[in-house]
Amino acid sequence: MFKDFKTLYEINWLYLLLIIILFWIGEINLFSAAGGSLDPWAKKQLIRFALFFPIFFLIIMVKPRVIFNFSELFLFLIVIGLIITLFFGYTGMGARRWLRLGFINLQISEFAKIFLILYLSKYFHNLDFRGHLEISKSITPMIISLLIFALVAIQPDLGTALIILVLGSSIIFFIGIRLIYPILMFFIIIGISPFLWNFLKPYQQSRIKIFLNPDLDPLGKGYHIIQSKIAIGSGGIRGNGFLGGSQSSLDFIPEKETDFVFSIFSEQFGFIGSIILLLIFLILILIPIISSIKIQNTFIKIALLGLSVKLLLEVFINIGMTIGILPVVGVALPFMSYGGSSLLSNMIICALIINFMSVDKKVKYFR
Amino acid sequence: MNSNFDSNKIIKRRSFLAILITFIFFLFLSFRLFFLQVKNGNKYKKRSKENRISTKITPSSRGDIFDRSGLLVAGTISSYSFVIYKYLNKDYKSELQKFSNTITPLELELFEDNLIKSNAYSHFFLLKDISWEQIVNFEKKKYLFSSIKILETKKRYYPNKNLSQIIGYMADSKDSIRRFPEGAFHIEKSYDLHLKGSSGKTFNEVNAYGKIVRQVSLELPLKGSDLHLTINSELQNFCQNIIPKDKKGSIVVLKVDDGSILSLNSNPTFNAQDFEDRNSIEINNFLNNSEKPMFNRAFSGFYPPGSVFKPLPALLGLEKGIIDSNSEIFCNGHSSIGSRNYYCWKKGGHGKVNLKKAIKESCDVFFYELAKKINIDDLSHLATEMGYNQKYSIGLSNSNKGLIPNKKWKRDTYDQSWYPGETLITCIGQGANQVSPLQLAVHYSSIINGGIYPKPKIIKDSPTLMLGRKIDINYQKILLNALNAVVNEPRGTANKLVRNNPSYIKIGGKTGTSQVIRIQESDREDDLYKEIQKNQLEKFKDHSVFVGYGPIENPKYIASVIIENGGSGSSLAAPLAHEVLNFVNELNV
Repeated sequence: MFKDFKTLYEINWLYLLLIIILFWIGEINLFSAAGGSLDPWAKKQLIRFALFFPIFFLIIMVKPRVIFNFSELFLFLIVIGLIITLFFGYTGMGARRWLRLGFINLQISEFAKIFLILYLSKYFHNLDFRGHLEISKSITPMIISLLIFALVAIQPDLGTALIILVLGSSIIFFIGIRLIYPILMFFIIIGISPFLWNFLKPYQQSRIKIFLNPDLDPLGKGYHIIQSKIAIGSGGIRGNGFLGGSQSSLDFIPEKETDFVFSIFSEQFGFIGSIILLLIFLILILIPIISSIKIQNTFIKIALLGLSVKLLLEVFINIGMTIGILPVVGVALPFMSYGGSSLLSNMIICALIINFMSVDKKVKYFR
Repeated sequence: MNSNFDSNKIIKRRSFLAILITFIFFLFLSFRLFFLQVKNGNKYKKRSKENRISTKITPSSRGDIFDRSGLLVAGTISSYSFVIYKYLNKDYKSELQKFSNTITPLELELFEDNLIKSNAYSHFFLLKDISWEQIVNFEKKKYLFSSIKILETKKRYYPNKNLSQIIGYMADSKDSIRRFPEGAFHIEKSYDLHLKGSSGKTFNEVNAYGKIVRQVSLELPLKGSDLHLTINSELQNFCQNIIPKDKKGSIVVLKVDDGSILSLNSNPTFNAQDFEDRNSIEINNFLNNSEKPMFNRAFSGFYPPGSVFKPLPALLGLEKGIIDSNSEIFCNGHSSIGSRNYYCWKKGGHGKVNLKKAIKESCDVFFYELAKKINIDDLSHLATEMGYNQKYSIGLSNSNKGLIPNKKWKRDTYDQSWYPGETLITCIGQGANQVSPLQLAVHYSSIINGGIYPKPKIIKDSPTLMLGRKIDINYQKILLNALNAVVNEPRGTANKLVRNNPSYIKIGGKTGTSQVIRIQESDREDDLYKEIQKNQLEKFKDHSVFVGYGPIENPKYIASVIIENGGSGSSLAAPLAHEVLNFVNELNV
């Protein structure tokens, strides 16, 4: 079930190092978000990281074949978990998103992203087709993606649900469906979006309206966006220095430890710091995509692409909303936002990426 | 057409597309950051200095609680504390030292750890509930301190200690999202939603140093709703004081017509204000005291009721046609099943006994003979209809249901079948019976109300709900006639009440003596019983029980009294109940 310990030498150490650096940047940022205190966030997040590390290591050491074999089972368990969450989940901020498992609350939808990617990768691996993918072969994956989308959307957690839908579609795109279909889909969605509008909850509608014009409600719902932009903008080129962010420290930024961590960071470290952080994320996303190109095994190839797209989407949406180019949806910034489920799911993803990147690139099928 | 086209090549092309999209996304973010931070950085810097709105959550003020006559029994008052904002002075530690030396001594080492960990921008409590002298003293030397301030907070105020067992108290929320205190016990807990209101928000414009320049907008907090209790404070105080200080016990006073609880006492008791003041020494004392002052005996204390239980088997006997008002038995001091004897409290026996005499003089043998013809399941069922065996959810914590045993209970609990002898013991109110003082009062209310009785309530304007089922008016008359005789006729077990206080209100009722330990039947026979009782350790003495009602012609109030280890019902509980009924009748609530 596990790889030989010697294979540890062959893993991508640069990738591991980047993750640890990123996590520590996040720690420092949570420390400053609390006004220069380990409590209530930085210490707890560090303890979580330490607790999750054995899981991280274990996933690196598992043979990819084992993950491949259990992919359907994992997704099945996730679907069960999502259904249980709907009925028995822990309600917070108006949505049933968390499942209380003993001493921790898990946001199952975070993990749904990972296992949907693995499941779809396996599905296409087993198809073993040539040329472009027939549209008929993409129906099952689409139904599965829509099912998970629906289970998450009715929690309601539209942000996560849309990410799941985009992940599912992007894998179908990678595997080689003719480009005409995604283009067609795009126009259909644009066409029916006025009708979809009516399905949104009032608070979701108002978030989008206010995103388009934050000054509609400067003290209410537009407040998040305005204050976040002021914080980031006031950071200037060099930033206000460590613990020097007055906007964030004076409690202007709501949810500064979760959705708006980037604002805290950017106010302190300015444009230069932000670009360095963006570069770290960029490398973290590009390494697996590039190394997937040479890999012959379809499962691993697609999984690496899907997992990178997951990171890309979260980084883009989270930072995008703090700088006012996307509406506010609850999406965490990987390794920076405070929260156990997000940290654990991103550690699992990076462990999978490290694991998959170290396989023998020429082997097409599992033995 | 592309059937031989390697699908891996397509994936490869699409991967390059993904790389391209990633770059575009990141460039997009970078350009936007450039626009915000480099191009417009100065504009935002200015905005961040000039225009800053800070949001502060204002807690709502909690609803007040009043007693029956409109007297405040739980309110909210201002409390002032010394707090420190660390961010206002980097060298706050030396400022604290200075404060400790000049204004008031602080035990700095006690909270130093927590202070270091605390958020620099929010207040940290140094000393709560400070006096006016301390405030004046501080105001005079205010110029010495830059980070220490006086903060006004609201706190709960409980003027009457005797209502602590009803109102309960508040505690800090365990939920970290709701930072304000919430009701933690009794009425404060069960009516928390009703009392708490909703918090408001203040939006303040502050300058670069965090000082408030002006208030921009205000969302007012909504005060919680008030609550009016059925309790009469004056009666509550009277009852609390009348229970001997060294005895544990409880008094419940119930209004007959609507089930209002006028008084609900338990001794010993605690002081809710100590919980509000976070007075840890007192709180620990309350929580760990072996006398259990946190425990409200009125509805959480369960006892075998003793003879006050007898009207229930009597009613069952009448309804089943086993006895009528003329049925007589001969009491020679004991009754037997097989070889086993069951004794009357009166050694020589009562002679010829009918139902009225059996209740008036509390003859046990009459009820033993009746019990031989009773099915225990019928008794248990009737008990539930008539107020026992029920948990009254009146909004107080830890209320319970008690027990009137039946065959199923015996099987489930001991895996044994029911013995006929147990019915005998049950019918005189001993054995496995477990009833609370509140249930006793409710049961007597059911008799006085003719079977359909109001559910007890503690909130004044809550609707009166009716429970029970109608009983034959003739049976009711027989029972009340007997209960009146207990107090008002010679040889009644509580007849000395009339003799001791002839000027008091005329009442009816029933005495009871609840056995704490079972005496061997043979011991009782050789008249050692009373001797044993006299020499018993305090904790093995019988509980004294009395349930009474008055005025006798048209009963308006019921008083149920239990004094633990108080001896016989007539000796202690009955005189207390008489005092209480006389007092409440004069109050005319």
